[in-house]
Amino acid sequence: MSPYAFLAEVLSEKYDVAREAISPEATLTELGLDSLTVVELLFDVEDEFGIEVPEERATFQTLAEAAALVDELVAAKGT
Amino acid sequence: MRGHRVFVTGLGFVSPHGEDPSALFESICLGDSAIRLVRSGTPEVGADVLLAAIDFEPGDRINKADRVFMARAAQMAVVATRNALEDAGLMTEGRGPEEAGVFMGCGLGGAEILQQSYSTYFERHSRRVRPTTVPLIMASGPASQVAMCFGIRGPAHTYSVACASSSVAIGEAFRSIRDGYTDVAIAGGAEAMLNDGSIAAWQAVGVIAKVHADGAEASCRPFDSDRTGLVLGEGATTLMLESEERATERGVEPIAEIVGFGASSDAHKLTEPSVDGQERAIRNALEDAGLPADAVGYINAHATGTPAGDPVEIEAVKRAFGAAAQDIAISSTKSMHGHLVGASGALECAITALALHERRLPPTANLTSPDPACDLDCVPGVGRDAPDLEVALSNSFAFGGSNATLVLRRA
Repeated sequence: MSPYAFLAEVLSEKYDVAREAISPEATLTELGLDSLTVVELLFDVEDEFGIEVPEERATFQTLAEAAALVDELVAAKGT
Repeated sequence: MRGHRVFVTGLGFVSPHGEDPSALFESICLGDSAIRLVRSGTPEVGADVLLAAIDFEPGDRINKADRVFMARAAQMAVVATRNALEDAGLMTEGRGPEEAGVFMGCGLGGAEILQQSYSTYFERHSRRVRPTTVPLIMASGPASQVAMCFGIRGPAHTYSVACASSSVAIGEAFRSIRDGYTDVAIAGGAEAMLNDGSIAAWQAVGVIAKVHADGAEASCRPFDSDRTGLVLGEGATTLMLESEERATERGVEPIAEIVGFGASSDAHKLTEPSVDGQERAIRNALEDAGLPADAVGYINAHATGTPAGDPVEIEAVKRAFGAAAQDIAISSTKSMHGHLVGASGALECAITALALHERRLPPTANLTSPDPACDLDCVPGVGRDAPDLEVALSNSFAFGGSNATLVLRRA
């Protein structure tokens, strides 16, 4: 599953975010996630893709930006 | 009679005997044990243990997104409170009475979350523990989640008094209404510590029952010569308490009245019970209720089924009641639902309220060969009718020597 697809899946299934609100341009704030929930979501992503998101890189706003960061960290892990 | 009278106007359960009050009370009176032998823990160090566990599924009764922030005990507390609010007719569009106070008992809090965080640290060799760990572990999680889920804006307090937690919570809620601080309270307790790390710790205390020859379900045997210890259970129970004025204004028929609360400390030993401390809790409760010893017809005992504990409680009852003790029925329903630790007092207080309402005495299951040291009327086997029952007690005596007794009267 791609990072974006995983994010969309978790947001909908675990955090009860409406499917129609989820888009690449949507920010996590717009989707109603508070800071604690965002960090919890990050742990879901880390567990799924076997990566660690360095604190200083956790500056993404939109889902597309978050997915791109995960892609980059997964690629870096593979090298 | 000082202050306001306090009525129980709703009951909510998540128990080893299910959630329906009538079905639960019927099972208890039939002597049906919910105790089973189950496999617990990891393949490497797991064990078969006696438990009164619950196949708990909140379903759509808790929002998925909210569940992320609730440990199992908090989820059980929320569902039990939902059941109690509905039973009392106090739920409006998913909200409870905004002005209510929340008084919850809990011993360990999010025990399974603590275990998970230690697994991450020790097994995955990682310091990256989930950010929800702290707010899920805290023992006050159930009270806070109840307040948040149902829009309750009065004080939300947690009483962590080991095995007496939820009796103290109910006692303090009772006092709060009686003394006029609030006129409606959500009172009860929740405990979910059947994760294997917690179970191993309990086993180390040396108080856990062994499997009985008659089967796993017959293994918790309070007051019986063959008793070998307690069985851990889990769950939550919530009582809706309201002042007489409020209940009358709403036109609700109370289930029972709470008329007294007594507490004491043994100042003795950490795990060894004391006759003196328990006797004083019972005396304090009766004095608080303004009732003579011979008014009491039934006691829901703390008796957990340990060799050391049960005779101490019997002796405390004999001393507190004198000659009247011979005419009192005393039973331990832990023989069937196990020991819910921080939730035990609330479950047993609720069963006591139903006993008064139904005028029917719950039994001590598995009591086939009474210990000569436990020579009161311990209602062996199955329940029986008690057409004259007016007043009953619920005892909770905790590790640490904290004792609590609640006095209830038929409404």
